[in-house]
Amino acid sequence: MSEEQENTPKNNPIDLNKPEQPANPPSGFGPITPPPFQQQPPFGQFGGGMGQQNLPNSTVALVLGILALPACCFYGIFGLIFGIIAWVLGAGDVKKYQLNPGVYTESSFKNAKAGKICGMIATILSILFIVVVVLVVAGAITNPEAYDRFFRGFK
Amino acid sequence: MILQQLSFLDWLNSHLFACPFKSYFGLDCPGCGLQRSLIALLKGDLSASFKFYPATIPLIALIIFTLLHLKFDFKFGAALIKISFFAVAVIVLINYIYKIYNHQLTA
Repeated sequence: MSEEQENTPKNNPIDLNKPEQPANPPSGFGPITPPPFQQQPPFGQFGGGMGQQNLPNSTVALVLGILALPACCFYGIFGLIFGIIAWVLGAGDVKKYQLNPGVYTESSFKNAKAGKICGMIATILSILFIVVVVLVVAGAITNPEAYDRFFRGFK
Repeated sequence: MILQQLSFLDWLNSHLFACPFKSYFGLDCPGCGLQRSLIALLKGDLSASFKFYPATIPLIALIIFTLLHLKFDFKFGAALIKISFFAVAVIVLINYIYKIYNHQLTA
């Protein structure tokens, strides 16, 4: 199978460049060799699994989902942004795959799912941290003395 | 050459991005220690890197594995990425709680 797939791209240009080849063989070995040349290209184009595309956003979703974790500094805002983008892109691609599974490759579907889950985890962590930030800021503003007593602060 | 590298790392060490949360409220954020840990790793000091931020080495391994997966498309790559990402997230969370609880609470 893999040999056929490798052969087709090499054979295509030969077919295009030398249309005379099928004309030459009638005398000798021709009838044996040309048919595979003529038959293989349609197989390679339609049936060889090359017709499936990758989902458009699966890679972006995966990379953003993973980068969202170290990006949770700076009040959790960047982690939240990256995480939500990864989540939305991944979920969109998963839906797209489920609508017509034959069109897209399975590996990109797995990547999209992984990106969605990584985005989810990063989003949850960022939201947790944002809640902590809000509580700490509220505590520090409303009750500075108790805040200083509670946290050791600069060190 | 080695001296140059070391001085560059020292320069880097004194020019880190300051965490805005820590500089205003004196409390660590979940990412605090990542830069120091990275520099320790660049110096080749694994244990110091782990002490500054335990999630650095798994995180870098995860990023490298993700790049390899995107290039070579491993069969179980996506599942492995999911699991290890969850593990890294748990490490970050536990490390943060531990750090706040043990080093920054006065009670």
